[in-house]
Amino acid sequence: MNLRESFRMAVKTLAANRLRSALTMLGIIIGNASVISMVGIGEGAQRFVNSELETLGPNVLFVVPGNRETRQLGSLEIPRTLVLADAEAIDRQVPSVDGVAPEASNRRLVTYRNRNANVNVVGTSPEFLTVRSFEVASGHFISDLDLQRNSQVAVIGGKLEDRLFDNGQALGKQIRVGGVSFTVIGVLEEKGSNLGLDYDEAVVIPLTTLASRLAGEQQSPYGIQVSFITVSARDRESMATAEFQITNLLRLRHNIRAEDDFYISSQDTLLTIANTITGALTLMLAAIAGISLFVGGIGIMNIMLVSVRERTQEIGLRKAIGASQDDILLQFLIEAVILSVAGGVIGTTLGVGGILLVSALSPLEAGISGSAIVLAVSISGGIGLFFGVVPARQAAKMDPIVALRSA
Amino acid sequence: MTTPLIQFRNIQKVYGSGNTEVHALWNVNLLIFPGEYCAIMGPSGSGKSTAMNMIGCLDRPTRGDYYFDSQNVALLDDHALAHIRNQKIGFVFQQFHLLPQLTAQENVELPMIYAGVGSKERHERSRAALAKVGLADRIHNRPNQLSGGQQQRVAIARAIVNRPLLLLADEPTGALDTHTTDEVLQIFEELHATGITVVIVTHEPAVARTCQRIIWFRDGEVLNDHLNPEDLGSMTAVVR
Repeated sequence: MNLRESFRMAVKTLAANRLRSALTMLGIIIGNASVISMVGIGEGAQRFVNSELETLGPNVLFVVPGNRETRQLGSLEIPRTLVLADAEAIDRQVPSVDGVAPEASNRRLVTYRNRNANVNVVGTSPEFLTVRSFEVASGHFISDLDLQRNSQVAVIGGKLEDRLFDNGQALGKQIRVGGVSFTVIGVLEEKGSNLGLDYDEAVVIPLTTLASRLAGEQQSPYGIQVSFITVSARDRESMATAEFQITNLLRLRHNIRAEDDFYISSQDTLLTIANTITGALTLMLAAIAGISLFVGGIGIMNIMLVSVRERTQEIGLRKAIGASQDDILLQFLIEAVILSVAGGVIGTTLGVGGILLVSALSPLEAGISGSAIVLAVSISGGIGLFFGVVPARQAAKMDPIVALRSA
Repeated sequence: MTTPLIQFRNIQKVYGSGNTEVHALWNVNLLIFPGEYCAIMGPSGSGKSTAMNMIGCLDRPTRGDYYFDSQNVALLDDHALAHIRNQKIGFVFQQFHLLPQLTAQENVELPMIYAGVGSKERHERSRAALAKVGLADRIHNRPNQLSGGQQQRVAIARAIVNRPLLLLADEPTGALDTHTTDEVLQIFEELHATGITVVIVTHEPAVARTCQRIIWFRDGEVLNDHLNPEDLGSMTAVVR
């Protein structure tokens, strides 16, 4: 008997027992659907975290005050050890560095006529724009001249513009920030929040202006204090060099003999940490789903074993009219594989549907992973083969006389 | 002298071992020639069913040789036995054993599927076989849409579709009334007339009476091998 005939026969048999076939497939359907959707959601989570981190800007290093231990104790007493002069020194003396953007911030009330908002006021340098990968939606950013002259100019976030002004009339308007008057010279393109930093509702002003006009307490004997310094390296390869050189420079400048009073983290280290976590998450989800796939396979075996018992007469008859043991074995194996592959295909469809649903309803861009689909369907086919062997062998070995007599 | 189709040489069939050994057949010698029409009779436990399984190549003897169509069955593997059953023997059973999910025609096609016959030829031959048993208008019915007699006729069509040398029937009329029994026996006689060897295992004297030769089994041995069916009454007396 050839394969095509065996296949047709198996389909006919399965179609004759629709309910049983459907119930048998259920385990595999659920297993596959969960493998596909879980892996998809896991990968989606990974992609989400990665894209969040990548919006920080490419090749970026963060220099923050306080060492690793003091930062882990919580943000209560972070020493204010970084100053504007540090940032300027990094810019001048570290060759692998492309741009440096020191930042200090304060919460202040911003008012325009009768409207007001309590927002973050960020003091920084002109390089902020390139280092943090921001775009100006309209107007222009603060300039070096603004920084030198302590100019009272401000660039505001897109959302803040919507809150304070009707239909985008912010440019050239006078706003009051913490009681000081500023001229709006530009509006930032909206970028959303990442890692808790949101500039869409912030006011960005020259760091010198922030220090002299708004934040008297941020002065120190060494100059203007900053919250952190963002540094962009020339390229991806020079990031390690930049980190090393900045560390040395700052140790020298701060006269450090034992513990550093600053800490440098990069997008890369953050990405590595995040990928480790989301990778473990994906693996865990896949493992859980894999178990349900396995259980589905056992379900197929159970039903096939029952089916062999139930069909002893059919098996006996087939042997009497000329089926060899191999023919019977093949028939039952094909039935098992059809059940598991069909279950796999249906399950995959459901899994893909689930992924699309999650993508539509949540910020997770759940990925439909081709490799996961191929893997899941071929695994379920393999499961059918594996768990089909035992019942199929039982059927093939059946004594035709006993089988025919069991009327 | 023609070569026998079926030749038992000192065949023994033993089930179990040691103290629980059961001798289903004990030194049976039997010859059946092509073109014969015989009945195998005997009370239950007489070994007639074991003999039938042996004849049908469904079982191998424990000791002794069985030649079917000049081939020693004891030496054949599973594939070769399956091939003989498929090509040279047609089975008819008491319970018909039709597959419920298949139509009459599909049931008749089954042996040809195992023989590797192409679908076009299968259709033609299955229709011809069903026409031969008088079911040309029932080919698309499923077994549950057919009467007992019709189902048995489908089973006969299935048995003869590969043009076997031997038609082997196990209580073929056991589940039928007298009227359909006559119909089925009529078909057997027609097939016999075309040259097929017919062996019927039965316990019904009325069925055996239609055969040319009656082989009686008792306690695993051939008790009587009779060529005159008219003496059936006295034979029954002997057995009892």
